[in-house]
Amino acid sequence: MWRSARFPFLWVGAPLLLVALFTVVPIGHTLWTSLHSAHFLFPDELNWSGLDNYRKVIAGPFFVQTLKNSLLFTAITAPVVVGLGIATALLLQRHFLGRAVLRSVVLLPWVLPGTITAVLWIWVFNPSWGMLNTWLRVLGLISSSIPWLSDPNLAFASVAVAHIWSQVPFSVVLIMAALSTIDPALFEAARIDGANAWQRFRHVVWPAIKAMVVVLLVYNALTAFTTYDVVYAMTGGGPGTATSLLSFQIWRESFSMYDFGAGSAVAFLVVAMAGLMIVAITRALPSDLFAATEDEAS
Amino acid sequence: MLGMSRSLATAGATLSLLATFAWSPVPAQAQDPDVTLEFVVWNYSLDTIADNVRLFEEANPGIKVNVTDYTWPDYHDSLVLRFRGNTQTDVIYGGQDWLPAWAAAGFLAPLNEIAPEAIEAYRADLAGFTLNDMTYDGNLYGLPYYADTISFIYNQRILNDAGIEVPTTWEEVADAARKLKANGMERPIVYEFNQELPNFFDAFVAQVYGRGGDLFDENGEAIFDQPDNAAFQQLSWLRDVIADELVAFENHESTIIPAMNSGNHAFTIVYNYVLAAMNNTADQPLAGEFALARMPGEAQSTLGFTKFYAITAQAAGDDARREAAWKFVDFMAGPPYAVAKRWAVEKGLGFGQLPLLEDEEVIEAWSSWVLMPTLQAQVETAHGGTWKEWTAIWAASFRPLMAQAMIGEASVEDVMSQGATRWNELKAQMAAR
Repeated sequence: MWRSARFPFLWVGAPLLLVALFTVVPIGHTLWTSLHSAHFLFPDELNWSGLDNYRKVIAGPFFVQTLKNSLLFTAITAPVVVGLGIATALLLQRHFLGRAVLRSVVLLPWVLPGTITAVLWIWVFNPSWGMLNTWLRVLGLISSSIPWLSDPNLAFASVAVAHIWSQVPFSVVLIMAALSTIDPALFEAARIDGANAWQRFRHVVWPAIKAMVVVLLVYNALTAFTTYDVVYAMTGGGPGTATSLLSFQIWRESFSMYDFGAGSAVAFLVVAMAGLMIVAITRALPSDLFAATEDEAS
Repeated sequence: MLGMSRSLATAGATLSLLATFAWSPVPAQAQDPDVTLEFVVWNYSLDTIADNVRLFEEANPGIKVNVTDYTWPDYHDSLVLRFRGNTQTDVIYGGQDWLPAWAAAGFLAPLNEIAPEAIEAYRADLAGFTLNDMTYDGNLYGLPYYADTISFIYNQRILNDAGIEVPTTWEEVADAARKLKANGMERPIVYEFNQELPNFFDAFVAQVYGRGGDLFDENGEAIFDQPDNAAFQQLSWLRDVIADELVAFENHESTIIPAMNSGNHAFTIVYNYVLAAMNNTADQPLAGEFALARMPGEAQSTLGFTKFYAITAQAAGDDARREAAWKFVDFMAGPPYAVAKRWAVEKGLGFGQLPLLEDEEVIEAWSSWVLMPTLQAQVETAHGGTWKEWTAIWAASFRPLMAQAMIGEASVEDVMSQGATRWNELKAQMAAR
């Protein structure tokens, strides 16, 4: 009788090898590069520099601002993505005409590459001929164009909107999967007992999706903290440093300023902070969060 | 009428290109090495590039050319990755701003070492600033793909209707914009605002040259942090007109074209070939309304620059690749300059090969979208930028600072001070090596 428990190391060995190859090795190489002076201009001068790169980037003109932006971006977008995901999934669970079409349309942003998403949203936000300003004018809500992408505060919000739009579908899919595990009889029983919509959500839906919500919050926090493509293509990190995020700063240090040592230092700091973020979120979870799921699995 | 003369000119240039290569003395097929060259370009007019490559391959049966393209914003980083990753790369589009760093790092090969006699013979045909842009440490690293100036463009109908003279100083530009705004034009100036593109810095330098100033002294020291410096004044000017809501931003030159053709803007600052696209009757509703004026300011000078074909050190290290790469570069940019002429006639790209200035087809084609005497006066007063090994690195950190000052997020004083300090640090670091 084959049982996976008989050869645990054999079963986990292959995926562990892949993780080591594609995660541990690059992170290790990044750490190694960050401890050396690795400059594009001087490819033959690869010298040990200790923590110099870390000191340089932290004291530089961009790091503190990009860290603040990344934390704010994460704090805003991750909960909004999950919240919209829950709301959309609940909507799509209902039976109405065109539900199948709407389900497909809602998933569309998920399959678009980040740069295409950015181009779409540039068209929406363009001050001269963008869709948003045009509509606002037609509705008589504005008399002059709003500079969505060149005002620092609006640019940050615009990029956040584009990022949220691209990430919501994944949350919708997973929440819908969690919703599908709920026995319809529970809803029926709740209705018979006189539970209103909020009470049904609180006592029937939430227990079934809360573990998935936490997983999505962690996932979206990491995605937001490390996002790059939408920002790069929409605003180039600007205006000024308004939309410069840490991942963007990795690129800037490495490719614009040719300093791969400094870029690697920022990259390793991002990895370390992301790791801390995972540990902090995981430790903050109630210990019985996954208990029901584990019980069912066993 | 304008479209017809353009089509005829295009057809003529293509025919002359075909004829040139059909009758040019081609080396015997048996002598050609069997080589596939890796040619890396940014993705401007890929159809024309592919057709030029096809003509080269037909004339050189032993050589194939594989074209890899990147978008302009991604081009620089992609090249850096290819160099760093040792990806086979033989011929590239180079730029004057990147040359010192790439040549100093040993990624490019001097053409005067690959084909010394030909290069010596070609030098006399190349414009001064073009030669300067392609030269590093006394060696010539390229032949021109295109050479251009950054120019001040205006909508002559809008100015005529408003009774406004073509401005000749930046103060007049601001006054004209204020008058147009008072007449109902929301943002009369449209500006390419993308702090990650080299264009963002180049356009600023062109404006500074218009004022007759420079960012650096003759010793290469940064002087733009001094309040009476033209760069300091120009950044202050930009901050003021942006604060007065006279400026609309676009993040790429390609969107400047429809923006100007919307009739919502009267002024912009772009490369000359963008003017050619704006005045293209085939697809632009306001074509013919746009004209080039000399860069405003006391000197009315501007920045001239050159993009060029360069051979990598990787290719030069292999005899067969070196020979094939040189043939390709010679075909694309050498006499009789048929490819450069094609770019000029069909796309309005500027050129560094002086004989084309007297070519009738070029003159006829360009006359359909620009006043040649004005352009000639602008080109004659243009001069090259200050390109050092650290310029690209420095500009990458200075551009976001400039953007901060322009939108009022930081003071011009602070930005210029930080920029000058960084420039002088990099200069000292380089000198210490």
